[in-house]
Amino acid sequence: MKTTMAQVSSAGSLGVEDSSDGTLTLLMSGRWDYDTTGTWWRRSQEILAQLKPHRLVIDASAVNYCDGAGAAFLIDLQQRQARDGGEVAVQGLQEEFRRLLDIYGRISIEPPPGRRREALPIIERVGEAVVGLWQDVQALVVFIGELAVTLLRVARHPRLVRWGDAWLAAEQAGSNGLPIIALIGLLLGLILAFQSAVPMRQFGADIFVADLIGLSMLRELGPLLAAIILAGRSGSAFAAELGTMKVTEEIDALTTMGLEPVQFLVIPRALGAVIVTPLLTVFATLFGLIGGAVVMLSFGFPLVTYVNQILSAVTIGDLIRGLVKSFMYGIVVASIGCLRGLQTRTGASAVGQSTTTAVVSGIVLIAIVDGIFAVVYYALGY
Amino acid sequence: MLPQEDGPLIQVQSLTAAYHDKVALDDVSFDIYRGEVCIIAGRSGSGKSTLLKHMIGLYEPRGGRILIGGKDLVTAQGQERKEILKSIGVTYQMGALFGNMTLLENVRLALEEYADLPADAMDLIARMKLKLVGLETFSDYMPSEISGGMQKRAAIARAMALDPQILFLDEPSAGLDPITSAELDQLILNLTRNLRITFVVVSHELSSIFTIADRVIVLDGETKKIVAAGRPQDLRDTSPISWVKQFFKREVSTQAKEASA
Repeated sequence: MKTTMAQVSSAGSLGVEDSSDGTLTLLMSGRWDYDTTGTWWRRSQEILAQLKPHRLVIDASAVNYCDGAGAAFLIDLQQRQARDGGEVAVQGLQEEFRRLLDIYGRISIEPPPGRRREALPIIERVGEAVVGLWQDVQALVVFIGELAVTLLRVARHPRLVRWGDAWLAAEQAGSNGLPIIALIGLLLGLILAFQSAVPMRQFGADIFVADLIGLSMLRELGPLLAAIILAGRSGSAFAAELGTMKVTEEIDALTTMGLEPVQFLVIPRALGAVIVTPLLTVFATLFGLIGGAVVMLSFGFPLVTYVNQILSAVTIGDLIRGLVKSFMYGIVVASIGCLRGLQTRTGASAVGQSTTTAVVSGIVLIAIVDGIFAVVYYALGY
Repeated sequence: MLPQEDGPLIQVQSLTAAYHDKVALDDVSFDIYRGEVCIIAGRSGSGKSTLLKHMIGLYEPRGGRILIGGKDLVTAQGQERKEILKSIGVTYQMGALFGNMTLLENVRLALEEYADLPADAMDLIARMKLKLVGLETFSDYMPSEISGGMQKRAAIARAMALDPQILFLDEPSAGLDPITSAELDQLILNLTRNLRITFVVVSHELSSIFTIADRVIVLDGETKKIVAAGRPQDLRDTSPISWVKQFFKREVSTQAKEASA
């Protein structure tokens, strides 16, 4: 019995002859390149799986072009037959294409042992994550210690600080960030006042919106807003900057020159950010109060009433406690940004990762510090 | 696929290149033929890498044309440009392997984008290319886990994923030890002999120039033009320009000698 399933295509083609003695003949012709081989690759796999020939003859005398893909096709057929215990013969392939087969030779399809990355079971992954978190906390504590020691040293010898870099960091984190701080602060004040004024008006208590805005902006929202924007703008920038320096071995160069990265890179940035965070907080608060004023004016209160109401509600202590808190936020955000930068591994994606973790851990730490301050202030009776 | 006729494979015609106001190449013309290993040499800052980056279409020239297989790479758009880019492969100075992929995935990437092949076919072809550069056992390694020489070879395997007719190598032996560098030279010779791949190599590694070059094109950093072209041995022995001779003999220039004396 002899069946023929000749398939014709403009580019490459494959014909199949099946004889009853278990010999399958594949007739290759035309072009076998990256565009045409795929179709016949899939087709031949189906045919081989179906017929399981004992002997496979590939007649390639009509092939007029064959590149790596065509060669891979032949190699694949040879390997399949070898694995299934069949025979294979390639006939009539032109010399220049046969040389391709010789160059590539036998390729093992199986990956080399011991390199396959298998997904770990869930328990191991959880364990790994916990250990990783613990190591991260340890690294953070070590870094804070190192930072504190260096800070003490530069406090005794202020000339060790690179003040030029510190001013640059202060400019980038501070004055360049002022527009966004002002915008978000204003919007926050507007929204807060508007959202609270509507229900409070039902009780005739809408004048107390001023108390609400004043207390919440000064004590909580002003510092928080400034710190979160600092984390997004500057914490990430520090991480990316130091991360790129790590990748390009600049930090190694500093270390081998006897300059400590913490003193040389982290201290100026941390100082710069710490100087400007309370200032940013003042501006965030101020614009929040302005936003509140806009709403109160539109509700018909004169500005002087709003201002007097706020002055009677808040004390200078509220402002100072907010600024002390924002000072801590600044230290935390700047140093976690620098730490993530210094922890960067190699490669382009590593810088992106450290930037992301700088922002995420910056915000987490802000929340933690905020909580600690809430408890401390409560215990101190404020 | 490029036409198979035997004219020049690459034609650079009065190429002028500039960065802003600074001229980097001034009226540079030359042809490269199929199967040739052509080295672009010159002192640092003479525009070697600039020339290479124009030839592979990364930069747009200020003037002149670059024809690859008779087609203008500068004006080609869309599908035509893709066809030309498929026929060339490039390796960069630092290797430029994608750090978040294994070597196999690096090589597979072009296949996934351009070829219509089943997944196991792409794996097999990628392994074939890695075997060609002697890295078949490292297919599941990340680029950061292998040495610099291996990265260079892996970059060649990646550049060869689609069986290009031309390979452009930007300083392939930079930062490699002499043995690894010599192995890389052998690889280039094997590929050009067995697969008739045309090589355009930016290099100033003398040992490798004398080993692999059919022809050297020497650029001058002062005039921004080609000062000499030919077989490296001929340039060393008979070039009328003294600094070209010095370049190929690895001598210190006369001014530097005077300065140190």
